[in-house]
Amino acid sequence: MEGILFPRGVVEEREGLKEYSSRGGYEALEKALKQLSSERVLQEVADSGLKGRGGAGFPTGKKWAFTAECPETPHYVVLNGGEDEPGSKKDRLLMENLPHLVLEGVILTAYAVRASKAYLYINAAYDEATRSMGDALAEAKQAAYCGERIAGSDFSLEILLTPAPSNYVAGEDTAALEVIEEKKPLPRQKPPFPATAGLFGKPTAMNNVETLANVPPIIARGAKWYRTFGTPESPGTMIFSLNDEVKRPGIYELPFGTALRYLIEECGGGTRDGKRIKAILLGGPSSAFLSADQIDLPLDHNSVRAAGSSIGCGVVRVITEGSCIVEETLRIAEFFAAESCGQCPACRMETNMLAAMLKKVQQGQGGAPLLDQFNKVISFNRGKGFCNLIHMPGPPIESALKLFRSDFEFHLAHGRCPQN
Amino acid sequence: MKRICLVCQNVDCKSRGSEEIMKELQQRVADQGLTDLEVKPYLCFGACQEGPNVVLYPEKSWYAGVKKEDLDDIMKHIAGGPHVTRLDTIDTSLKELIYQLLETGVF
Ligand SMILES: Cc1cc2nc3c(=O)[nH]c(=O)nc-3n(C[C@H](O)[C@H](O)[C@H](O)COP(=O)(O)O)c2cc1C
Ligand code: FES
Repeated sequence: MEGILFPRGVVEEREGLKEYSSRGGYEALEKALKQLSSERVLQEVADSGLKGRGGAGFPTGKKWAFTAECPETPHYVVLNGGEDEPGSKKDRLLMENLPHLVLEGVILTAYAVRASKAYLYINAAYDEATRSMGDALAEAKQAAYCGERIAGSDFSLEILLTPAPSNYVAGEDTAALEVIEEKKPLPRQKPPFPATAGLFGKPTAMNNVETLANVPPIIARGAKWYRTFGTPESPGTMIFSLNDEVKRPGIYELPFGTALRYLIEECGGGTRDGKRIKAILLGGPSSAFLSADQIDLPLDHNSVRAAGSSIGCGVVRVITEGSCIVEETLRIAEFFAAESCGQCPACRMETNMLAAMLKKVQQGQGGAPLLDQFNKVISFNRGKGFCNLIHMPGPPIESALKLFRSDFEFHLAHGRCPQN
Repeated sequence: MKRICLVCQNVDCKSRGSEEIMKELQQRVADQGLTDLEVKPYLCFGACQEGPNVVLYPEKSWYAGVKKEDLDDIMKHIAGGPHVTRLDTIDTSLKELIYQLLETGVF
């Protein structure tokens, strides 16, 4: 199947400037600077229906418009390559192997939102991605695709690299802004939102790596072409990451609307040990569990939301028969408790409390009414906290309790997994 | 079951001095030889703006905004004296949530 980011299958090696140019690389930028106003570029992205791939699925054109229309200057662009979602490797792969595609996306974004400076915020543990993006930047400068008066136009853009601390919260957009401002990675209270008051208080367009990699093809071939992929509500493709639980783990670019079954069975080759599927965790640890009979669900924002989960950043985990959902859920809760930055008391309370409660269940301590306390703690903390981390442990825990309550009851009664 | 006196040690309560409150309570309980009561840290009671928060269990007395000056009265209550009404300011719904958690064994 033809992809948008990987037209000829997942790229295994780094693509340099020469190879990128030979397949039409930077033509979108040249076209934009010569023929299109920045409004036109923004409109094309808005018309394409591109949605953020960093987790929240917010319409990119809409977000850019807030920044573009802000009278305050300068405007900034930040490429979010923080990527600390467990199991996600897609941003890293894009930065390592398709650095010019990502970079052209950043430059087009800056043109669309009238930014004069862009930051490439890259996970500090990603040595190769950092090197690859740095080299691409040097090559692009040499070719006059960034710096002063790009490709002979009036548009100039300075691009800088900033290492991102390798902890989960550092990928949150306002925490990333703090890091670029040389402060600790602590999320800011919102509003104001970065789109209008971001880096150094100025309008800032911040997007995920995969989101911005979609921009050059959209400008080169148009919103209408882009919309031939995917569904009307979720146009385009998405990169899904499959972990070791399937026979062929890896990264797969699929049009939105593809059935989950296709991803797991055709791409992944089914479960590694041939065991039956018990549950599917779609979208990373902050999404709700799906049951095995939801495997025909189409992978697009609306369908997944209607099924009570979220597509997140495309990390799909398959949990097979014999695995204990209590253990899975406990690991997730402990992850969020460990990653909470501790700045908001409510978040510390919630994440630690939920982990402590699950530990009790796992060890068979506490009475049966304990299971009814989880959603009370979760709803008590709804709407609190500076960032979304406080809302992350809720969906997996609540869905696990609903779908696999007997696992929890068994643990409470016997202090061990029903399987062993 | 041993009685417990839980003192919140989450960031807000701590920033308002809950660590000293806890240590002081532990000291006084030891000094008075109250062996049936244990003073313990607690994760957070969710009433962070009103801390330091101290909860006695199983009698379910919740004291908010506790200062060193209040400890005499709290110690009197622990030793069988009256409930310290002026420190009992937390709304019932939050109390219920936390008491239910305590009842299910989450300490
Ligand atoms: C705790 C937390 C961690 C996050 N980590 C990342 C990350 O590593 N990469 C990323 O692109 N977005 C991350 N996000 C989402 C960003 O805040 C932001 O929504 C995203 O970068 C916007 O880009 P998009 O609109 O292109 O998706 C995180 C959010 C939260 C609450
Ligand atoms: S910080 Fe003490 S109740 Fe939350």
